[in-house]
Amino acid sequence: MPTLEIKDLHASINGQPILKGVSLIIPQGEVHAIMGPNGSGKSTLAKVIAGHEDYEVTSGDVLMDGESILEMEVDERSRKGLFLAFQYPMEVPGVSIANFLRAAIQSRLPEGKELEVTEYYQQLYREMDRLGMDRSFTSRSVNEGFSGGEKKRNEILQMAMLKPRYAILDETDSGLDIDALKIVANGVNALRGPDLGILLITHYQRLLDHIVPDNVHVMANGRILRSGNKDLALELEQKGYDWILESAA
Amino acid sequence: MSVKNNEINIDREIGNFHYNLTPAHDAGYGLTEETIHFICDVKNEPDWIRELRLRALEVFRSKPLPTHWATEDLRNIDFDQIRYYIAPGTDVKRSWDEVPTEVKETFERLGIPESERKFLAGVEAQFDSEAVYSNIKKAVADQGVIFMGSTEALKEHPEIFRKWFGKVIPTGDNKFSALNSAVFSGGSFIYVPPGVKVKHPLQAYFRINSENFGQFERTLIIADEGSEVMYMEGCTAPKFETSTLHSAVVELVAMPRAKIQYITVQNWSSNVFNLVTKRGLALEEAEIKWIDCNIGSRLTMKYPGVVMKGRKARGEVISIALAGDGQHQDTGAKMIHAADETTSNIVSKSISIGKGRATYRGQVTVPRHLKGCKNNTECDALLINTDSRTDTYPAIIVRGLGNAAQHEASVSQVNAEQIFYMMQRGLTEAQAMSLAVNGFVNDLVRQFPMEYSVELKRLIDLEMEGSVG
Amino acid sequence: MNTDTESPVLTGVSLDNLNNRFPHWFSEERSAAWSRFESLPMPTRTDERWRFSGINRISLQGYTTSLEPTHKEIEEALANSAKVENSAGRMVLVNDHVVLREETERALTKLGVVWIPISEAVTAQAGILREHFMAQFTGLGAEKFAHLHRALVRDGVFLYVPDNVEIEDPIENYYWVGGRKTAVFPHTLVITGVNAKVTVVDHYFGLEGAEDTLAIGVNDLFVGDGSAITYISTQFWPGKSLTFHFNSTILGRDSCAKSLNVHLGGDFNRAESVSHLTAPGGRSEMLAVTLATGEQEFDQRTLQDHQQPNTSSDLLYKNTLDHSARSIFSGLIKVEPGAHRTDAYQKVRNLLLSNDAEANSMPGLEILADDVRCTHGATSGQIDPEELFYLKSRGLNETISRRLIANGFLQEVFGRLDQPALADKLGSYIEKKFDLSHDPKKT
Repeated sequence: MPTLEIKDLHASINGQPILKGVSLIIPQGEVHAIMGPNGSGKSTLAKVIAGHEDYEVTSGDVLMDGESILEMEVDERSRKGLFLAFQYPMEVPGVSIANFLRAAIQSRLPEGKELEVTEYYQQLYREMDRLGMDRSFTSRSVNEGFSGGEKKRNEILQMAMLKPRYAILDETDSGLDIDALKIVANGVNALRGPDLGILLITHYQRLLDHIVPDNVHVMANGRILRSGNKDLALELEQKGYDWILESAA
Repeated sequence: MSVKNNEINIDREIGNFHYNLTPAHDAGYGLTEETIHFICDVKNEPDWIRELRLRALEVFRSKPLPTHWATEDLRNIDFDQIRYYIAPGTDVKRSWDEVPTEVKETFERLGIPESERKFLAGVEAQFDSEAVYSNIKKAVADQGVIFMGSTEALKEHPEIFRKWFGKVIPTGDNKFSALNSAVFSGGSFIYVPPGVKVKHPLQAYFRINSENFGQFERTLIIADEGSEVMYMEGCTAPKFETSTLHSAVVELVAMPRAKIQYITVQNWSSNVFNLVTKRGLALEEAEIKWIDCNIGSRLTMKYPGVVMKGRKARGEVISIALAGDGQHQDTGAKMIHAADETTSNIVSKSISIGKGRATYRGQVTVPRHLKGCKNNTECDALLINTDSRTDTYPAIIVRGLGNAAQHEASVSQVNAEQIFYMMQRGLTEAQAMSLAVNGFVNDLVRQFPMEYSVELKRLIDLEMEGSVG
Repeated sequence: MNTDTESPVLTGVSLDNLNNRFPHWFSEERSAAWSRFESLPMPTRTDERWRFSGINRISLQGYTTSLEPTHKEIEEALANSAKVENSAGRMVLVNDHVVLREETERALTKLGVVWIPISEAVTAQAGILREHFMAQFTGLGAEKFAHLHRALVRDGVFLYVPDNVEIEDPIENYYWVGGRKTAVFPHTLVITGVNAKVTVVDHYFGLEGAEDTLAIGVNDLFVGDGSAITYISTQFWPGKSLTFHFNSTILGRDSCAKSLNVHLGGDFNRAESVSHLTAPGGRSEMLAVTLATGEQEFDQRTLQDHQQPNTSSDLLYKNTLDHSARSIFSGLIKVEPGAHRTDAYQKVRNLLLSNDAEANSMPGLEILADDVRCTHGATSGQIDPEELFYLKSRGLNETISRRLIANGFLQEVFGRLDQPALADKLGSYIEKKFDLSHDPKKT
């Protein structure tokens, strides 16, 4: 089965180790959740997989369908089928969502092949309707002046349009009220299927009520301390993180 | 976002070609009284013009290069190694079919006749020193609009021409306006009668074909009371080894309640010194808007200005400058408030790539005893590479009560996280950069007519392709 | 008047009769500076560094230097050189003669702080003085007058704060001038070691009857690594004066400087202020408040020179202009190649109170590194009529309302000082200036 495999990954920023040996296998078709306290390295893991230049991988590997992606540029990884929904999506002033997405989709087409514009807009509007986004969104600049909920919806919209094989959702629930959370979760659930592996990064169990994971991993201090099924999340909710940290120590 | 520097080789192929033609008239190298007599004789000009030219030559010689504030690079212009007048020796044609083949091909490759058919009310095409083609749609001409080359206008409409010529920009305004006054040739002349609103733009295209050539067109636009006109100019030159000089003078007169929009998209090759003086005179409730896009050239010095002489007149400069590697875009605006309740607005955005340097130089003057004058200036600079450079030198003079001026400027670079975000969606670094840069100028590009904004985006993409390594 | 060829005349000046006060090296440099002063031309219209400046108001004719102060003058100076309540000490000079050095409970001496007249420092601290004394010119255009200062400086204040010494209370220096057509050359030099902290306040005033002064003042701050210097000056020279003020700050690694110049007096006044951020981590705050009335002209030129990465500077100049006063602000943020992660800010705000007032603003940027955040802004405007209406509706008359608003406009800058006693004192100077400007006899 095709997988996104993280093998004993160590990474540091400015010489400061953050990831200290993370191993994880996310097969296509499954949803894995990583939970952990603040500062555990969850967001770093997401950025390292995506290829952020601030982080240095000191050892270990990340394999997509058996192929190492660490030497690839950020955009190459993306075109290979990796998607990162950002915790804090960047504003791109002056660039409309419609143009931005078109450029991103065009970059995935073979050279010489032009995007079919009508089809593109049909699909875009369909996905926007599903996420309860107004049509006027397409002409707004990417994330500029968006509310927290709008930014997160925009991330899921892009995920739907770009059709990744593996998606990492970094704290997608942060800053959302319950209604917005439901919309975003529905959007994600609609994309679930045998061709997509999802890694959910979250601090709270709440999101997992709406996007039910196949596996739950607990991360702290740069390592995965424990893995289990969705009941592990409930246990964490009741007992807090200290319990895992203590039992690991 | 810092980007490693590499040699930037921009594809400027669209304008980089030329034909070897034997001109009928060539004033030769260097500038003397003889050159002026040669030009006057070929053009069969009246005595007042000949005298004006000779006086201007004196002024040009007497004025030093403005290197006490401008770049020393000006000293690299060898005025003796420039040809001041080259003309094919044919009349101005009203039909492209009559234009000599190579000249016609030049403009076809630049897409001019096609644009004319599509969306223009009139076109003038200048090849080196003289217009070779000039045509105005019949419906527009029937309204009394005059649109022709300056050379023709001087002969056919001397009464209007002489009344306004040199009134907005006197010969001695600066060294290069004096040079232009001495050797000017070509350029457009437009007169729009009272109340006439020209729906589609009038376009001029300035093409340099000859090596070591200096192009000195002179444009004069008069919009009579309550009229409206939009004028667009495009400029290109082939890339020669030696330097080429372009030194135009453009004067606009907007009579009460008239509106003039003047749009420039220049894409000079990197051997061109582009030293242009542009100013408009706006009378009561008139509006003059300069939309200026400067791409290419070795050095551009251009500060479009508006003198707001009538109550409630309005001046605006919208400027985009793209300084590629080795280029210096020294651009800005000049707003002279000379009546009550006049308002001016300057928005300037510049991008410096590689070792490119973008300079904003502005002057806003609100003199004593005026009421209710307002100026707003915004300058934003974007730096792409580690050794790119930007400067901002505004001067704002405000006197008295009831007037207000504000100036804001910022310098930034492309945000690294923004590039990461876009690359995560699959765009290459160059594409991401290009999108970010287009986003940076987007609000200004939107003010250009559609055809130009598309062209502009393409030019920016071309510039950005070479900027990341 | 052709200022180019005019030869400056300063009566009563002889380098020789002062030279016996100074060691050889100091006198040598004085003579050299005099030659440079003589060889440099007067400012010209075509010099961009004097753009908009009323250079025809600059004339050096007929001034007298080094006048011995009279008893009466000394008494008056001492009586008016009030200390703030938490003062660490005061030094008082009249016509460039030190007449008092008064330290509060020897607090400074006990800590090893050297706070002495420059006339003593030339021998007692020769090494360090020679290394720092006028080592850095502002380079902003008025070098001729800085050389004149170097040639004719007679005395001043030398302050050295050793490593790890922190002085919370301000040290105050009063520079008084008496008589007509007197030339003075006040000089304050502040040097800190590593991780030191000090606040220095200079007051420039005229005695009763003083007018038409030529004042060329210099203050240089050398901020050692990890140190913090707060420097405040109030320029309240007498009427009709021609004044120059040079303020240079050289910042070491992770150091911090805050300078505030209050400009109130004089007729034509040129102030040049530079911050050189010579090592990573430096931060410089440059503040100025100007209240210009009558026919005063304040010509302000500044430079924020970022030479190294991770440095920051923040400039805020506020000018209030009444009557036919003029201001010129020309400021430059310069980011040298490689000075990445520079954070520089520059803001000038002009408040025009009358129809004949004039504000010229030239906020400039020269950026040669790309990873930077630099912004500048300049505004010129008037009192908001709504604001005036609001105050008047509470029963205040027009004059008081306008004065309140103008004062509030300037107070924002004082709020940046974390020294309430000093801020109050500066506020009282502003009030005094307002009083003077509304007294027809004084304007």
